[in-house]
Formats: sequence, structure tokens, C-alpha cells
Amino acid sequence: MRDAIEIFSLFVLPTFIIFLPLYGLFKRVPVYEQFVVGAREGFTTAVNIIPYLVAILFAMAMFSASGAMDMLTDLLRPAMQAIGIPAEILPMALIRPLTGSGSQGVLLDMVQRYGANSFFVHIAGTIYASTETTFYVLAVYFGAVNIKKTRHALPAGLIADAAGVILAVWLVRWLVH
Amino acid sequence: MLNYIWAALIISSFGFALVSDIHDLQTDRYRNNRPLAMEVRFTRAEDAKAEHADVDVTVRSDAYRLWSGGNETPDLTGKALLTQTAEGPVLQFAKDAALPPLLATIRDVTAKESKQLIARVQPLQFTNNTAATTNATFAPVRWVKIAAITSAAFDFAKKAVELAISLIGVLAMWLGLMRIAEASGLIAVFVKVVQPFLRPLFPEVPRDHPALGMIALNLSANMLGLGNAATPMGIKAMEELQKLNPSTDTATNPMVMLLALNTASIQLVPPAALVAIMGIESAKLFVPILGVTTMCAILAALVTKLLGRLPGYRKSDPNLIPA
Repeated sequence: MRDAIEIFSLFVLPTFIIFLPLYGLFKRVPVYEQFVVGAREGFTTAVNIIPYLVAILFAMAMFSASGAMDMLTDLLRPAMQAIGIPAEILPMALIRPLTGSGSQGVLLDMVQRYGANSFFVHIAGTIYASTETTFYVLAVYFGAVNIKKTRHALPAGLIADAAGVILAVWLVRWLVH
Repeated sequence: MLNYIWAALIISSFGFALVSDIHDLQTDRYRNNRPLAMEVRFTRAEDAKAEHADVDVTVRSDAYRLWSGGNETPDLTGKALLTQTAEGPVLQFAKDAALPPLLATIRDVTAKESKQLIARVQPLQFTNNTAATTNATFAPVRWVKIAAITSAAFDFAKKAVELAISLIGVLAMWLGLMRIAEASGLIAVFVKVVQPFLRPLFPEVPRDHPALGMIALNLSANMLGLGNAATPMGIKAMEELQKLNPSTDTATNPMVMLLALNTASIQLVPPAALVAIMGIESAKLFVPILGVTTMCAILAALVTKLLGRLPGYRKSDPNLIPA
């Protein structure tokens, strides 16, 4: 089952890339001309994103460089242990919505400290794979269309992230350990 | 909300850095101006009087423990260059010198570029022709975190632009392909297939609108872990949704829903980075990841719907504001 999914995900992109021009030709679309017209938007879209991305990334980077993670981990330790979340995974839970490279660093660090087959790394890995860099996604997607007032997007994303952490602890405890 | 969180992150990072640095100063974490006893060994006797000399430096385990205040370490040895200057002898440790964590931090902060730890030493006390003992002090280390947040801010401002620029190629390619798909009528066909599933989540999007097709492509690419296809398709979907938006700068409900489903997406294939970091061990996490992400996606959709009904968010809904 897993192999089938992985092979499917390997083949889906090349198939897609080849199928689109093929279908276009079949429908008598001037494929090259249409491609170029569409591709032109790539540049403006990427440039549109820049101010949003700068705003989000520099704030996230400052926060993670400030040592806040260590202090928050110490601060939240008792509360988290009371609801059954091991304090060792808190750095991952806290940094995951903020930076992608930062959370990879935390995971690597945890693998070296606790070993890849440990309970903590299993939870942290599940959190890493299950949740997204919420702030980055917000900057890119809304930045591309110049949306500044994001309404309930951030609360919804962060609630889903928090739920992901709790579910990861439960499911890893139940299914793997 | 984003305004407050964004400002809070920036302001609080200054607070956290300040608290951390003051704590380091109070506990004298970096042993500023405290002498560390070490032994210096010359290869030849005549080097001892030379202006520059390559030496072997040894720090005994007990001396290091006394200086650093605790940590067990074996005897440290390393190569260094001894230079006589007007202010006394100076030791410059070799670039690849293996240093314990505390000294390594001092090196990283005080010699960021050269990566060569520098120590001022007292005049050498010779025990024989080629060996001497001395006390070394390192350049004082203060306000590490304050410096770190400043450089992080500038580094990442630069990195953000590089990231956006590096997106251009992939974006252009996918947007080009999507244009062919639209022109050939493929998206319209696809919309017919997916709209029974997606319309309940995106009721504000009119029937047969191409946005639904882009949303479906984006969500499927996400599920398969195809990051470099998912992002351009998501952006394209956002652009389609923006065409339906009466406002220029405020997100509509379907936009928020699309974002929520992207931050909490079902993962059928674990991200490549997870496999790279955890190795074969990551295979055990396939089922938990699938379970967590499925539940999170359902929850994200529910939470988005419920939050959208709150009076505050209804008031800001561009579709409900009379034009």
C-alpha cells in the first residue's frame, strides 16, 4: 500500500507535465504561446510575495534566535506534563509553526540526543510531518494576492497546529510505543 | 490578530534576549577575564624567543574544570600560533582545534570570521627549554543574544528575498502549465468532478468556477507531498479566489478555508526531510502521520467554519459588507 502510494507520487508529476501539453495539442490550443503567457505571471507573483515574506521571516528568525524557545520550554513544562505532553518535545511544538529550517534543526538535534528510535523523536517526527510552517504559508499564499487582513486564518491554523501536537503524542503512544 | 502576534514576536524577542544575556552575565557564563591555566610546548628551543612560533597547547582537565565551573572534560590539546605583541604574548588557536562547548561558543562569538580562538597570555614561566606554563584570558563575551537577534533579523530579511526569487522558476513553470490546462478546457472538466466534494467546504465559490479545480489540484499535490507543485497551485487557487473577492486587501471565507487546509493537510507521503533526518525509522511513523493529519484536516475545516460565524469575523467578511 505504502509502496504503491510512493510510486504513484513519483509518477504523478511527470505524467501531469507531459499530459497537459498533449491534451492541449489535442484540443488545438497554441500550447507554447499559452505557456509563456501563464509563466509571465510567475515573476510578478514571486515579487508580490517579497514584502510579506520579509515581514514574516525576519520576525520569526529574531524570535527563535532570542533564546525564547528554551525559556518557554521551562515555563510551560509543568502545564504540559499535567496534560500528558512530554516537555522534551516542546521545542518542536513551539518552533514548528514559525520556521521550517529551525524545526528541521530541532529534529536533528533530538535524533542525536535521544536516538532515532526513541519515543520523543517519534513524536517530534510526527509533529514535523503533520503540521506546516503556518506563518510561512500565510505569507506566501496571502502575499501572492496582496491580502493583508487575514481574518481568522491564523487562529484556525494555530488551533490545528496545537491539535496536531496533542494528537501526535496520543497516536504515537498508542500505535508505536 | 496577525498585527498583534507579529509585533509581539518582535518585541518579545528583545525581552527574551535581554533576560538571557543578563542571566549569562550574572552567572558569568563565559568566564570573562578569568584566567585559564595552560601549558605551552615549543618544538625547538630557539622558538621560545622568536616573535612567531608554532606551539602545542595543553589544558589539563582539572584546570579546565576549575575555570569552567563543572563540566568533565579530558585533557585538551591543540595547535596554536604564539605571537609576541606590544601588549604581551597572544595565542591564536588553529582553525580546526577541537574545543569544548564553552570555548567553542567564545570562539564563535569573538572570532566569527576566522574561527580561530584568540587568548591573551601572561609572560611564560619556563619549566625547561621547550615547555612553559601560563594563564590565558579570552576576549570578554557579552550580550550574545542581543547580537544574535540583530543579525538574525538582517540575515532572514535577505533570505526572504532569495527565497521569493528562487520561487520564480517553479512558479512560472506551473503557472504556464496551468494556463494550458485552462485554455484546453481541462480545468472545467476537473471542476465538474471535484465540486460535489469541495462545494460544502467552499459554498461561497459559484458553481463550475475554475477556482475549485485549482483548489483540488493544490490539496492533492499537498497530500502527495509534492511541495514544489502544491505551492504554485495554491497561489493560482488564491488568485482565482481573489477574482471573486469584492475587497482588495481582506481575506474571504474560502481563502481562509484554503489556507487552513494547507496548514493542516492530509499527508499520504511523509516529507523528504523527515526521511533524510530520521532514516528508516521514519517508516514507523506512516500510520500516526496519516491519522494525525486526517484528524487535523477535519478539525481545521470545522474550526474555520465555526470561527467564520463569530460576530467579529462576520463583520469583516468582504462578501457580507454592502458595497
